[in-house]
Amino acid sequence: MRSITIALAIARKDLVSEWRTRELVPALAQFIVLALVIANFGFQIDSRSAPAIAPGVLWLALVFAGLVAFGRAFASEREQATLEAVLLSAAPPAAIFAGKALAAGLLLVLCEAVLLPALALFFGVPMSFGLAVIVLLATVGMAALGCMFAAMVAQLRARELLLPLLTLPLWIPFIVAGGQGVQVAMGAGGSLDQPLGLLLDFDILFVVLTSLAARFVLDD
Amino acid sequence: MTRYSAAAAASVGLMLAAAAAIFLYAPTDALQGPVQRIFYLHVAAAIAAFVSFGVVLVGSVFYLWRNSLRADRLARAGALVGLVFTTVTLLMGMLWAKSVWGAYWAWDARLTSTLVLWIIYAGYLLVRRLAAPGRQAARFAAVVGIFGFIDVPVVYFSVSWWRTQHPGPVITTGALPPEMLLTFLFTMACTLVLAGTMIAIRYRIETLTDAAPVAAIVSSPATHLEPAR
Repeated sequence: MRSITIALAIARKDLVSEWRTRELVPALAQFIVLALVIANFGFQIDSRSAPAIAPGVLWLALVFAGLVAFGRAFASEREQATLEAVLLSAAPPAAIFAGKALAAGLLLVLCEAVLLPALALFFGVPMSFGLAVIVLLATVGMAALGCMFAAMVAQLRARELLLPLLTLPLWIPFIVAGGQGVQVAMGAGGSLDQPLGLLLDFDILFVVLTSLAARFVLDD
Repeated sequence: MTRYSAAAAASVGLMLAAAAAIFLYAPTDALQGPVQRIFYLHVAAAIAAFVSFGVVLVGSVFYLWRNSLRADRLARAGALVGLVFTTVTLLMGMLWAKSVWGAYWAWDARLTSTLVLWIIYAGYLLVRRLAAPGRQAARFAAVVGIFGFIDVPVVYFSVSWWRTQHPGPVITTGALPPEMLLTFLFTMACTLVLAGTMIAIRYRIETLTDAAPVAAIVSSPATHLEPAR
């Protein structure tokens, strides 16, 4: 019970700090729109090819926005040297980690609230409930893994370099299942059950594993 | 000759014997011709890589559980050797694919997951290099080693989970003629001995590396009197 209170307090602290500075979300939203512009030039998109390319563009934009969002989650703590202070408190590392992941995940959800309408606007992808559920489910596991590795690399040299190298390989399950689900939700035929089940399985697996690992990552 | 050079010589001898079995004893494949002989070392190297990454997993879990420096050294040794065997698997597979599929690479589930495996353990070694040596490097690498192992069963089952271009299991299904099966089992045994020897030698090197700074101070009496800079 106490852990949940601590996690919520830390998440609230991060969200309040983001609300006061408004640094991350506007920058990431802009980055996402830019990614769509780059995709347009990279793929030579026209009205016929747009629906086929859109799922790939969605995941590319989301994955790279996620890397930045989770990297920032611990970067600000490191810059102000506040992580040590938080770690010195009696709070269990798993609760600190859960709070950070929750806040960073919610910030990424805000970015998704820009990404999905932008895809609908620029790529003619109809927004649907299924699409939103898939992206949100993928965000849960991505946040758990992304924040764990972000906590790790924040304590290392060459952190910007290492975060994608460690995180991206383990995000692949979410991109595989999520990519499949998005194609179904965009009308490729087939059932949503399998990708949704896979996403849930991986969410549970990685949330459990990362909470167990938090003790070893956040401990100095 | 030390134990290690003896083991190394024995492993090289066994690999030469395996090569003799592959090229002289095993029959030529009726469909693919001589290029099928890649199969023996390709699959054996993949299994050796899985075993090495299993060593990383066991070492990592043991390190986090018991804080055992030996377990950490074992994980370090396993990661490097596993990476070498994954490289062998990928390169031999590419040569085989060029001849049979007409291209070095196909974005097939098994090929892709094996490439990801390579990237994960290359990342493991990078973490070791970039973290502060000692406790931090060991702890962070152990976490990467445990998470990274998730990809091993994915590689193994990829041929049954997805429709792949890569052939499925042939060993357990009895699809191989006895001479081929025997050659494969012999090659696999020799490759596992080689992997074991490599891990043992690497473990020894890691032990010496860990002890090196201490030895340097002890052997030159002047240095340990100077204040640390």
